[in-house]
Amino acid sequence: MRLSLLPLALAGSTAVACRGGESNPQRHALVDSRDTYDPRSLDPALSTDVPTGRAVSYVFDGLTQFTPDARVEPGLAQRWDVSGDGLTYTFHLRRGVTFHDGSAFTSRNVVRTFERALNPATKGGRAEPLMPIRGSDAFAAGRATSVAGLSAPNDSTVVITLSEPLASFPKLLAMPIASIVPDSIPADFGQRPVGTGPWRFVEWKHDDYLKFAKNPSYWGGAPTIDTLVARIIPEPSTAVAEFESGNVDLLVIPQGETASWEQTDEKKALLQSAPALILYYVAINTTRGPLKDARVRQAINHAVDTKTILDELMGGRGFLARGVVSPILDGADTTRARYAYDVAKAKELLTAAGHPNGIDVELWHSQDATISRLSQAVQGYLNAAGIRTKLVQRDASSAREAARKGETDMTLKTWYADYPDADSFLYPLLYSASKGPGGNVSFYASPAFDKLVLSARREQDDAKRAALSRSADSLGYADAPMIPLFFYNDLYAVQPWIRDFRVPTIFNGQRWTAVKILGSERRQ
Amino acid sequence: MSTFLIRRLLLAIPTLIGVLVVVFLLLYVAPGDPVQEMVGERADAETIARLRRELRLDDPIYVQFAHYAGGVVRGDLGTSYITGRPILGDIAERFPKTLLLAASAMVLAATVGITIGVVSARWPGGWLDRISLGGAYLGISFPVYWVGLLLILLFAVTLRWLPPSGYGRIEFLILPALALGSRSIAFLARVTRSSMLEVLGSDFVRTARAKGLVERTVVVRHALRNALIPVITVLGLDFGYYLTGSILTETIFSWPGLGRYVVNAISRRDLPAIQGSVLFLSVVFVAVNLITDLAYAKADPRVAYE
Repeated sequence: MRLSLLPLALAGSTAVACRGGESNPQRHALVDSRDTYDPRSLDPALSTDVPTGRAVSYVFDGLTQFTPDARVEPGLAQRWDVSGDGLTYTFHLRRGVTFHDGSAFTSRNVVRTFERALNPATKGGRAEPLMPIRGSDAFAAGRATSVAGLSAPNDSTVVITLSEPLASFPKLLAMPIASIVPDSIPADFGQRPVGTGPWRFVEWKHDDYLKFAKNPSYWGGAPTIDTLVARIIPEPSTAVAEFESGNVDLLVIPQGETASWEQTDEKKALLQSAPALILYYVAINTTRGPLKDARVRQAINHAVDTKTILDELMGGRGFLARGVVSPILDGADTTRARYAYDVAKAKELLTAAGHPNGIDVELWHSQDATISRLSQAVQGYLNAAGIRTKLVQRDASSAREAARKGETDMTLKTWYADYPDADSFLYPLLYSASKGPGGNVSFYASPAFDKLVLSARREQDDAKRAALSRSADSLGYADAPMIPLFFYNDLYAVQPWIRDFRVPTIFNGQRWTAVKILGSERRQ
Repeated sequence: MSTFLIRRLLLAIPTLIGVLVVVFLLLYVAPGDPVQEMVGERADAETIARLRRELRLDDPIYVQFAHYAGGVVRGDLGTSYITGRPILGDIAERFPKTLLLAASAMVLAATVGITIGVVSARWPGGWLDRISLGGAYLGISFPVYWVGLLLILLFAVTLRWLPPSGYGRIEFLILPALALGSRSIAFLARVTRSSMLEVLGSDFVRTARAKGLVERTVVVRHALRNALIPVITVLGLDFGYYLTGSILTETIFSWPGLGRYVVNAISRRDLPAIQGSVLFLSVVFVAVNLITDLAYAKADPRVAYE
């Protein structure tokens, strides 16, 4: 639930954030305030939401992992080789790693973990990151007793064969669902997880907090801080008050309060920003009525002044989109010409498409305050260009379901990339096989686009792959199956006594291993 | 008295059966698919179809209802679609916290509200009466989330006397109890005042005074007890609402109670969690009403013979 409660009440507060001074003598636990709802479970196989994914990244390791700036680096796999055809990955595992319960980590854990995540009896979602492995679909459907493309020739080697080449595969293995679990999985594993990660699970008070203690024998070096607490604070204004009282060390600045934090120097000094892999966009269903015509969809793009929307409604917190690939990723084109804001051009295109008197469309959106404001702005622009737009507001779940079933003309929504790669935007958002629940709610289907995306997925050479992604993105942008609005920037406030913190670009990219609390060494 | 109690208990059964049916049907009419929530942002049709089968969502609705009602009768509210945890355990973990908050708000409201009401009725038109009248209007008009945020700003951020939010020792309880109880304080003060004014003007009070009883005995022993019926009504209703609907207060103060659980369950379309908690809260509401009725009977024995 998002209650948009008087952000102004707190914005007007005279409280100074760093009243605690430069050091915080009361505690040496680090307290995070980012979670707004209780994680679903701490079992990696059930990880479909952000609080769960973050907690899983503390307790567990994957074969690979993300850095805060969204690069992929070795995790439990020290290194890996790829065969010339791009089909076979050989992962060389770290030796001497143990789980928090003392049991040794071996290649067998990897095989069992992946089989468990794919097994319907585990009752997770679809283990998407593991589906590229050859034989995974047969195993998941119960037609095979093992996954054909998964083997462990010895204790420290795992060989994975894919059904087709997929260059981003090592990134998929850094997703929470591919985190490695131990052999013995008790019934309450989701409540008391055991992994190999930098943090050992201590306790979970539902809807209140999660507590972790540092793993002193972590293979990557023990974290500097002793204790990590993830508090669950549903109301953003309350999180601000907790931060201003010095009770939490990290705060996501609510969208509505951006300006008030940037205005005062004292508060501004605490801010850290990083581009998030979040796209705000208006999906245009390419299978409905006049929207089947690309000219109409281009007219819709010309009709909306996205720059003014980003500046005025979002406080400039983001990059204008020129396609669906985030500008920080390989394959983005930051020089591509955007659809100019041009109402006359929009009307011309509509006339050319046979709609001189305009068209009528519905724009669906959820009740989220930001999404609603953006939708109203888009509606205003579209109406002015003769695209008569009716807003339809539903709760998030209903709006999503309608869009997935293709029942909406247009839907304003966000897309959070699962892994930092152009493919995590291009494939789910616009690839034909992802139509509906797969993420493509534009129901866009272009053989030429699909061909480029598939070639990019198969290409092992980074430069060539980026070029293919760029071409696919250009093609998709020209066909206009959506209005890509902007990529959002995350804005955090960090207490002055926290050192070496970096805002993660991807949600599970900050594992707190290098972060320090000033003054805490003294007390140990 | 015991026939009264039994009659009321029997009346509660059809109410609860009604709640069970309505909650079950409402969720099937409402849009939003629980399976879509379970699978997250990326899914495929096969997985969705498989999960629907496993959860028996494709069975005819009467079969689903029979299955669910059967579980309820056996005391099994099912397990959450999202977390896989038993609903009863989730409720058992959160309800005591909601109860603690509601009871504290109620005790606070009753103590402060009734005292103000009695004092302002004793000296109508006096300064306390006027202040409490003004305060009551404000207290009734301010929405709880606004009061909550102001309390946090003043006592936690500016004065730093109390923690802004969370669950723990008594200092965590004060602000949410105050925010939740503020409306009741105002309302109770007004109801107590008018009820007391009526009683204080009646013959038996004059008689008591004529007998030469001390004023305090007259007001507290004779007048207040007779003025209590409408006050108990307000207390009972408010307590019922606090137990079932302190969602805003729990959200603002990060209080891990049942209200937030229900809201989360609704937004994730976690059908068993919604059904189980609504059913449970209905039982609570019915129980609170029953206790209120018993309190009437205690305050005014005529009630039991109606």
